[in-house]
Amino acid sequence: MKLRVQLQCKNLHEYLRELSPEILDRLYNHPATCLAVYRELPSLAKNYVMRMLFLDQPLPQAAVALWVKKDSQSDHDECVSVLTGLRLWHSQQLQGGLQGYILNPVFKENLRIALLGGGKAWADEGATLGPDRHARDIESLDRYAMERWEVILHFMVGSPSAAVSQDLAQLLVQAGLMKSEAGEAPYITSAGFQFLLLDTASQLWYFTLQYLKTAQSRGMDLVEILSFLFQLSFSTLGRDYSVEGMSESLLTFLQHLREFGLVFQRKRKSRRYYPTRLAITLAAGVTSTSSSSSSSSSSSFASAPSTGDTGFIVVETNYRIYAYTNSELQIALVALFSEMLYRFPNVVVAQVTRESVQQAIANGITAQQIIHFLRTRAHPVMLKQTPVLPPTITDQIRLWELERDRLQFTEGVLYNQFLSQADFEVLRDRAQGLGCLVWQDVAHRVIVVTPQGHSEVKRFWKQQKTHT
Amino acid sequence: MASEDEINLLVIVVDVNPIWWGKQVQREPEFTLSKCVDAVMVMGNSHMAMTRTNKLAVIASHCTDSYFLFPGKSWSGGDNGGEDASSSGDGKYELLSVANNLIAEEIRNVMSKTEVRGNSTETLLAGSLAKALCYIHRISKELEAGQEIKSRILVIKAAEDCALQYMNFMNVIFAAQKQNILIDACVLDSDSGLLQQACDITGGLYLKIPQKLALAQYLLWVFLPDSEQRSQLILPPPAHVDYRAACFCHRNLIEIGYVCSVCLSIFCNFSPICTTCETAFKIQLPQMVKPKKKKLKQAT
Repeated sequence: MKLRVQLQCKNLHEYLRELSPEILDRLYNHPATCLAVYRELPSLAKNYVMRMLFLDQPLPQAAVALWVKKDSQSDHDECVSVLTGLRLWHSQQLQGGLQGYILNPVFKENLRIALLGGGKAWADEGATLGPDRHARDIESLDRYAMERWEVILHFMVGSPSAAVSQDLAQLLVQAGLMKSEAGEAPYITSAGFQFLLLDTASQLWYFTLQYLKTAQSRGMDLVEILSFLFQLSFSTLGRDYSVEGMSESLLTFLQHLREFGLVFQRKRKSRRYYPTRLAITLAAGVTSTSSSSSSSSSSSFASAPSTGDTGFIVVETNYRIYAYTNSELQIALVALFSEMLYRFPNVVVAQVTRESVQQAIANGITAQQIIHFLRTRAHPVMLKQTPVLPPTITDQIRLWELERDRLQFTEGVLYNQFLSQADFEVLRDRAQGLGCLVWQDVAHRVIVVTPQGHSEVKRFWKQQKTHT
Repeated sequence: MASEDEINLLVIVVDVNPIWWGKQVQREPEFTLSKCVDAVMVMGNSHMAMTRTNKLAVIASHCTDSYFLFPGKSWSGGDNGGEDASSSGDGKYELLSVANNLIAEEIRNVMSKTEVRGNSTETLLAGSLAKALCYIHRISKELEAGQEIKSRILVIKAAEDCALQYMNFMNVIFAAQKQNILIDACVLDSDSGLLQQACDITGGLYLKIPQKLALAQYLLWVFLPDSEQRSQLILPPPAHVDYRAACFCHRNLIEIGYVCSVCLSIFCNFSPICTTCETAFKIQLPQMVKPKKKKLKQAT
């Protein structure tokens, strides 16, 4: 049996931590990244940064440790490790020989610029180009962004009408969301199913991370595109920006963003672009993925304005789902884990059954993801009640998942055909002492040990044999 | 960690009393109102930079009126503020630079247009706080389903307390307490008994800053953390609270006074009829008179 692969959606922190120190240091050269990184810090660490933002001398570590109360010392330690891990805090020797902390000077400089100004402009604004004759209002930008994004999702579920560029299809394959056999059209994987059930912001973030992973192999400068991405997420909706002064690789990146629907550009050669809501909520979607279970309505807030069709699902305690939508895609998503009953022009009725849920779970979707999907797309009427979903439904879906998990698999090495009971017992006790005994059967003289303990047990057994 | 759907609203009430600030410039020319507003902007920017859902409002409290500096009338929310935005282009986050420009412009308007009439030297702080509460109430009404709001008010107080506003002030404090709104106070000059009570009752922080020039750093250090983070941090200990009440007759702060047994109004000297609820008190005159007579009789 294959182990289920859970789609891992990293947040910005985990991503940044994996970057090399040189890249990190270069990243902090842009105010937008500094602000984005700052926003992702734990709240206590944000206060630490703020306290040190206007200090020029390093602070002794002992003094910093006294900032928090005794009982939240663990939070403090976590903050310190995050801040030093991201190279925001540098250790420095103080005059008296004490160890002190100082804020990364580059980061400090640029965060100050982001907060208070006094630096260079982030990007050329459209104002230099004069007013746009084809100016876009916010609704049309939203519509455009959603359309673009849905095309990608449609492509994933294999709608014949959806067509994406070769680049994008390749990216989907590389991200593991789709698989393609030679000569055939790519088809969706179990990770892809899980991806579909995420909310838009998380989808976007996951996708972007995958893009960044492959960016370097495309010959793009990671720092450059990350800075641009963050800059985009802090721009104003409904305003135009100019492409003046962008490098060649950044322009290709812009074309890709255009395909995802993150920016709107009227023509490929157009000198201006508009960031869409997708780009702006990109950074906001980062945190909501990390805390999916407890407060899942959070992401609905992040994505509610962006998707016209959020808040369309009503779940009743009799396992019926009413989805008020026309979107083929959304209906297909609901159908992933439920049985369709009726279909009307503006609503579909489906039933969640044991078979349908287990079918979904067999496809690699988890109960948590189904519940998260239902919760984030709950109808406004549903949102008013707490909990949003009827507990009977959520519990039952989880129970159905557990039904499949009755067996637990552990790798091991089997020892059998012992000649005497004494031999068996000696070896079993030894394995038990090493803590690597998985299972034993006294009547049949059979034991199973973990692969890690195997060599040790084997050596012991050889010694034992030569002794006797 | 605060979740994304929790909105943190910070309302900063700045005392812009022109008389006090005028005197202040004569005393300490390096700390002026514009420095103070700068510090407020730094505080506001830091608050808004913390998370996307943090919201800010700034109210200027004048002698006879209070004004919204931010969000102003022309501010139409974060989405389409772009139309009138003239970003300074110096690398500041656009939203912040738009907000700061607005604050600077509004305060210029307020200070140049309003005249000081009469000789009222007090700031209309109670009025501004009431305005802040109304604003918070409005914002919480406009929330979407599933969102929560946590609000607090930060008062930056310059001028002296005004006992005349005692009643209104206490009403505001209790309203805030009921709504779970913290009131923080950062006092520049002399201690304020009213604000001490306000902070104590609502669970906010009260701090009289020893160095006015370092206002921004004090604000960032002490008042930036929200209530959740405050429980983890070591912050200045609560100040000794001056719990004296003002009497209803002369608005003097008193420690011992007369309290109407019906409506609990406080008076600094005795009056046979309560001026608030018009209860007539039938109190015997001091009892010392009668026994004296008896004693006199016995003696004779």
